[in-house]
Amino acid sequence: MISVQRVTKAYRNGVTALEEVTVDIDKGEFVFIVGQSGSGKSTFIRLLLKEEEATRGEIYVAGKHLAKLSPWKVPYLRRNIGTVFQDFKLLQDKTVFENVGFALEVIGKPKHVIDQRVPEILELVGLGDKLNNYPDELSGGEQQRVSIARACVNRPLVLLADEPTGNLDPSTSVEIMRLLDRVNRIGTTVVMATHDQAIVDAMRRRVIELDTGKVVRDQARGVYS
Amino acid sequence: MASRRFDYLFREVTSGLRRNGLVAFGAVSTTFIALLLFGLALLISRQVGLIIEATTGNVEVAVYLTDPVSTQNVNGIEGKLHTLDIVDDVRYQTKVEACEEFRRLFAGQKALVEGVSCEPGKNPLPASLRVKLAEPEQFREVPAVLGCKQQDSGYVCATPGIDNVVDQHKIVDTLFKVTRILRVGVLVAAVVMLISAAILIANTVRMGLFARRKEIGIMKLVGATNWRIRLPFLVEGLFESLIGASVAILFLFAMKVAFIDPLYGSTALQFIPWITNHDVVAIVPPLVVAGAVVAVIAGLVGMRRFLDV
Repeated sequence: MISVQRVTKAYRNGVTALEEVTVDIDKGEFVFIVGQSGSGKSTFIRLLLKEEEATRGEIYVAGKHLAKLSPWKVPYLRRNIGTVFQDFKLLQDKTVFENVGFALEVIGKPKHVIDQRVPEILELVGLGDKLNNYPDELSGGEQQRVSIARACVNRPLVLLADEPTGNLDPSTSVEIMRLLDRVNRIGTTVVMATHDQAIVDAMRRRVIELDTGKVVRDQARGVYS
Repeated sequence: MASRRFDYLFREVTSGLRRNGLVAFGAVSTTFIALLLFGLALLISRQVGLIIEATTGNVEVAVYLTDPVSTQNVNGIEGKLHTLDIVDDVRYQTKVEACEEFRRLFAGQKALVEGVSCEPGKNPLPASLRVKLAEPEQFREVPAVLGCKQQDSGYVCATPGIDNVVDQHKIVDTLFKVTRILRVGVLVAAVVMLISAAILIANTVRMGLFARRKEIGIMKLVGATNWRIRLPFLVEGLFESLIGASVAILFLFAMKVAFIDPLYGSTALQFIPWITNHDVVAIVPPLVVAGAVVAVIAGLVGMRRFLDV
């Protein structure tokens, strides 16, 4: 599903964020990317979305060779990738329903599809009774669930999560992890960058550790360190 | 599907206009002034065109005759004129006809009319030969064939019975020069205003993009195409410019009604053909196209580099 081959990413300011990184992730896997701040986790995620171009090496996502993907095709790549961030990225002037529906609306899905899929996915993340609330009326954990619902409503092949529990307390984080686990069990490949040790240790999934841009460990059913 | 897409566009555009109303108003009013000037330049051109067409279509040269007029002299002059290839037509206007035309033209100015009597012996207006030329530029051949030499403000001629020869084509030339300066001036002002309008529209588009950068970020993440993101902003700019164009067109029409319509009834200016409603309608397409082109260019410039994936 994701294949990263000897990828180096050097920013223009001279910082080398990733160096000779090679990672293969199969369909349906659940992978943690761990490491200190500045180890290259976020750059890794941005490269998979083609928000950044690799300086060297090759990246394949959902069968697409990213370096050869023309700019106008990038949106279609991203429709196969759901994204979740630490800061939720919800629109404050839209309700929960509208925030999730927005993701379908802007890719041109018809209203009947939105009206059917949005309540369905919100039910799945446990917010079936909060369709008409605004983000500021929800707790952090609920907001993150909205953002996961938005990431999954178009049934992506891959879910990329960048520190999804970074702003949440431990018990809420556990709920979010249960939800991501459920998303993974229905066949979605999940890649999650985190430095939340307790969560990684509890889940016992594949762990890829980055240190100053290099892969220092790639372990099935691993722990944080 | 189509109606839903329109729905989406409509909501995005109207919310955009509400959000930065003042800046949008600036863009609309600048576009209005720019297109008003542009339209004015077009209408002036049309009006001058009509006047020139009418004037050159009538008479290029008037040969005024001395009092009293002798038929023999008139026949002699007419004969000489007809030897020229460039002469298209020669018409004899009697003193009485000249007087009646004068009275008709200046009917609005009673003092002038009362000062002139058309009775034989009191009529001050000269008889004349009205000459129409196939090539107005070759005017000089007319005084030449009549043996006239330029002196002070008029001609002194060897052929008997001629008082003066007047080249009306020169008047047209002067008119044309004056209006050309006017027209170019208005056009230059229109272009300057159009550029200002483009900058203001680009600015509203840019402000809109900036105000909604978070929304745009999410749209990009979930895979909205660039055109999906751009279109509402382009349409917003287009909308502003077309409002400006509509107001400009209404204003031009109102100006035509206010200033030109009263002249239709004017006896004094009866010989000038005025622009009609049809001429105002004819400048609608160029104004709308100019407004749209400016808005689209401004929109694309405004969102340049803002939407790289």
